Amino acid sequence: MRLQHVTFSLTAVLLFMAFAQSTFGQALDISSGGQPTITGTLNGSVTGSANVTSDLVVTVNFGEVSPLNTNSIVKVTVPIGVRSNQPYQVTVSITGLNNANVEALQASDVGFGIRNMRLLGGAGKVCTQSSHLIRSPFDNDPAISATIGSSGRVAYPSSLGSLSGATVILSGPQLSKNNSANRQTSDGYAFDAILALTPQFFASGVSSATLIFTISPGPNVPC
Amino acid sequence: MPLPSSISTKLILPSMSGQSTTGTVTMSATVSKFVEINSGGSVTLTGNSGGGVTTDGVVNTPLGVSINLGELGPSNTNSFVTASVPLKLRSNAPYVLSMSATVTSSGSTTNKIGPADVGFGLGTVSRTGTGVNTGGSDTNATSGDPTLAANGSVNGTSGRYEFTAVRSNLNAFSSSTTALNGAFIMNAVPRSNANGLVVPASFAIKPQFFENGTTTISVTFTVTAP
Repeated sequence: MRLQHVTFSLTAVLLFMAFAQSTFGQALDISSGGQPTITGTLNGSVTGSANVTSDLVVTVNFGEVSPLNTNSIVKVTVPIGVRSNQPYQVTVSITGLNNANVEALQASDVGFGIRNMRLLGGAGKVCTQSSHLIRSPFDNDPAISATIGSSGRVAYPSSLGSLSGATVILSGPQLSKNNSANRQTSDGYAFDAILALTPQFFASGVSSATLIFTISPGPNVPC
Repeated sequence: MPLPSSISTKLILPSMSGQSTTGTVTMSATVSKFVEINSGGSVTLTGNSGGGVTTDGVVNTPLGVSINLGELGPSNTNSFVTASVPLKLRSNAPYVLSMSATVTSSGSTTNKIGPADVGFGLGTVSRTGTGVNTGGSDTNATSGDPTLAANGSVNGTSGRYEFTAVRSNLNAFSSSTTALNGAFIMNAVPRSNANGLVVPASFAIKPQFFENGTTTISVTFTVTAP
């Protein structure tokens, strides 16, 4: 009788865990949105999975960004997949890139924008009462909107310097039709995170930074 | 009562679906030291009798000028034949401008034109324009305009004109020797920014009773970021 009670309790816990997984565990999800690409680089590269059911783990090496790189700009496009059964928001935070020398590479020297919000496929939810909003100032392709500032340094409408803490870059209504426990290739949306870096007379050195993209419950907008 | 293992296995599987609320993009970039030397503009040739600028400098293009100094014997009555060659330097790091020179004359005596007969000096350094590190300092290792009275005179014993100041003639540059060095030149601006550090390189020869013949002077400038 006592053993039966314990077994029943354990089974109940496991059932609750399974329920929690199917109801909440995949309610918000961020993943790769496809193959990342890089152009204009000298000795640079980008690695990441082309599979939209893979985790978002991308490594970008911009390569040489002194004037030795004679290309006008280094552009990296990182497709990101998102899924939800509820309104959502995507935030980005940055660590690193804290050069004390103002002539060295700064966060503001890396253009950062969001473009091309699109359905992954037929299982993505099309809402008619709310739109997916790319938050200001990130709705641009920094590689084609770079300008020269009064100091002669390249400026972008938005850059990694625009990030302050966990900064909301995107929000909107429900993304997925179904409530699958597993990622599917068509059950959400993808957008492009675009990074742009113009080779300049930066002070020499190696710089690095990490961007963390997070999806969480967003403003309660109707679908 | 045994634990229903088939159920427990089925229940654990969803937690292995790999879904996540975060993703990472890790970035890196490299900036290497960069230096370059280009023409700073057109050559100025004065005091010449005959000759001329054969290949002129074109601003912001690779430096490669050719100058015919003309007649350097006493038939040229000017006090000096001088050629001023503007140089433009750019760097993202402290730089060193070095020079080496060779002088080859067809004559066979000590009265032929030699390296010591060719005066040399760097003029005023100019750091101006948007994107230039205007506060950076430079050290000129030459004595400036070689035609200045302070930089040369007639040798009282031999009667030959001599450029006597420090690094004021090409004899001091028979091997690669520093002529100028300084702080980084460019702030963080693109290569398309055409500004930089401009300095004139002046060469001078005083017409004298040199042994007749022809002379070829070859000068190579090199900029590095040690």
